[in-house]
Amino acid sequence: MLKAQRLEEQPELAVEAKNLTKRFGKFVAVDHISLEIRRGENFGLLGPNGAGKTTTIRMITGVIKPSEGCVKVFGIDVAKERKKVLKYIGYMPQKFSLYEDLTVEENIRLYGRLQGLTGSLLKNRVKELLERFYLWEFRRRLAGKLSGGMKQRLALATALVHDPTLLILDEPTAGVDPPLRRKFWEHFRELNREGKTILVTTHYMDEAENCDRLALMNRGRIIAEGTPREIKRRALGGDLVEIVFEGDLDPAALPGVKSVMEDSSERYLLVVEDAGRDLPRIVKKAEELGAKILVASPMHVSLEEAFIRFMGESE
Amino acid sequence: MIELEEGIRKGLRIVPIVDKEIRQLVRDPKTILMVLLMPITVTILFGYGYGGKGAGKYPITVVNLDGGDGAFKFIQELRNSKMFQIKAIYKSKGQGFSSVYSGEVYASLIIPETFTEDLMRGRPTRVELYYDASNPTVAQMIMQAVGVVTQQFQEWAAARFGTFAITPMFYTVYGPEIKKIESFIPTLMAMILQMVPTSLISVSICREREKGTFEQFIMTPVSVFDIIFGKLAAYFLATISDAILSLFTAILLFDVKLKGTFLDMVIVSTVFLLNSLSLGLLISVFSRNQLQAYQASIFSFIIFMLFSGVFIPVDVLSSEAKLISSFVPMYYFVSAFRNVSLKGWDYLMVLDQLTVISMFTFAFLALSLRFLRMEVT
Ligand SMILES: Nc1ncnc2c1ncn2[C@@H]1O[C@H](COP(=O)(O)OP(=O)(O)OP(=O)(O)O)[C@@H](O)[C@H]1O
Ligand SMILES: [Mg+2]
Repeated sequence: MLKAQRLEEQPELAVEAKNLTKRFGKFVAVDHISLEIRRGENFGLLGPNGAGKTTTIRMITGVIKPSEGCVKVFGIDVAKERKKVLKYIGYMPQKFSLYEDLTVEENIRLYGRLQGLTGSLLKNRVKELLERFYLWEFRRRLAGKLSGGMKQRLALATALVHDPTLLILDEPTAGVDPPLRRKFWEHFRELNREGKTILVTTHYMDEAENCDRLALMNRGRIIAEGTPREIKRRALGGDLVEIVFEGDLDPAALPGVKSVMEDSSERYLLVVEDAGRDLPRIVKKAEELGAKILVASPMHVSLEEAFIRFMGESE
Repeated sequence: MIELEEGIRKGLRIVPIVDKEIRQLVRDPKTILMVLLMPITVTILFGYGYGGKGAGKYPITVVNLDGGDGAFKFIQELRNSKMFQIKAIYKSKGQGFSSVYSGEVYASLIIPETFTEDLMRGRPTRVELYYDASNPTVAQMIMQAVGVVTQQFQEWAAARFGTFAITPMFYTVYGPEIKKIESFIPTLMAMILQMVPTSLISVSICREREKGTFEQFIMTPVSVFDIIFGKLAAYFLATISDAILSLFTAILLFDVKLKGTFLDMVIVSTVFLLNSLSLGLLISVFSRNQLQAYQASIFSFIIFMLFSGVFIPVDVLSSEAKLISSFVPMYYFVSAFRNVSLKGWDYLMVLDQLTVISMFTFAFLALSLRFLRMEVT
């Protein structure tokens, strides 16, 4: 079957982009961004429509040339040695780019052959992908006649045909139903476990939670980067905790509290530096001051909330 | 990662591309209709298309075996008709015959020995026209014109001498079997080999650009050259099959008898087909979408047809039009293929034309490769 990959050097970084810039005429679609994606991680690129995600991805895959800056994939310069890099990359463009007048099976086979697969290796790989993505019963259907979600399945299967080590997926789950979206992400996780690196864009924040690291783009720039937790902390300036108490107390004066976000009679949402460290201190201090703490717990912040805050700041 | 065999020969890489192109082609009812129906439609249209009129004078020679006043008067009449340009007046049939055989003129008119004598005595007489049947439009025109001149001359002679009939006799120079359908074969081949490949390849490239399929395609280790040569190979195969099929259909259905060997005809066709494909490539470079590519292909096809000598012989065109013709590869093909298929020449005898066609091919290819971008926009 498929042999394990042997890259001569084993660089830590799957993707290293420096000062990547793309101008379309006077319009700057991507503005001097730098990215480092580590080997084996699941990296999410988020941002509103027109932020420059697709343009960035196209420069990483070498489909378009950067106006400035350079990209290395597994240490190989994409501008100089694109051919060498291609076999490691599986790319799923945002727009369906397969042949609508070929069948499902013919599309996967074609890309398998173009990637150099032949004979039983090709046959088995095509069959495996058809089955894995629930396309077996549609294998003789023309790609143009598939539903949106089925097209996404086909595009993903095709991107994987040569078993690439780096997967670059531009909105892979757009138009995919929730159960299948979950399956996609389970599959991504599995690929990560196999040591594959994934760069993915999405507009679904629940999906982004599954990423190891995220970069938030707006207007061609990266406005935040880090793990989902780090991003959320940074959006608020700390962790969010909820306290409910009886008695007379000024929550702003409690230890570690950076700001009070919401108050409704006796319920407060506080931003603290570190929930784990500060929560016990708050409880202790409040009780010392004679208040009775009814609830004191860390609050879950949605990524969406963080996202919107960052967007607001960057405007 | 799958270990790729680095030894995969380059040539093999275009096989999946050729395979893909042919599948797409076969699956598209519009192109199938065009590829298969066009030759037939064109055959029918051509049947009606014989009645066209040339603008200029037809070069002919006259063989004056009579030498008398009657013959002199007849030649005068030919000149007056303004339809002929008499290139030479010979004294022997052989000279007249070879002037047609060599392609120098379209026809040779023979005035028999007894012409003047027959006239004076009021006996029925005749003139003989040996014409090049490989150019049916012209042959038709010349026969008509000779008929008209003879008619006028007969009226004049009847009034004077009481001659009651001058019959024009028509002979084809390349054997009595040459029929219209045979002489039409070069035109048919020119149409198939020009319009089909040019539009197929230019539309196919523009479709990939329009649908964004290049974005996935260029993520594979195939190069721009592989893509182009894969497409060239696929459409080459499709067109040459179409041409051979049409040729055999004509041979089987209409009992067409061609003098050229199959090999020579294929060689000449191949040279021209490569030209049409490279033109298609060039069109795709400068077209924004499929529609533009298709229109440009049809437009160039029409221009080529008009100036290739299939409707109006290039010899009778104005000098400006002649200049245009000299930049039309199809003109060289039609003349080469006519000589090969109808006169039985081998391809070496039309090497000049083939060389000119190939020069156009290289120019088109060089321009296309210079400007073709596969980058996604
Ligand atoms: N070929 C192009 N020519 C001109 N402008 C372009 C081109 N491609 C992209 N742009 C512009 O660049 C900006 C970034 O586009 P891009 O497709 O990268 O955004 P995105 O983040 O992928 O958005 P979405 O979430 O909608 O997919 C947009 O304003 C877009 O209009
Ligand atoms: Mg996008």
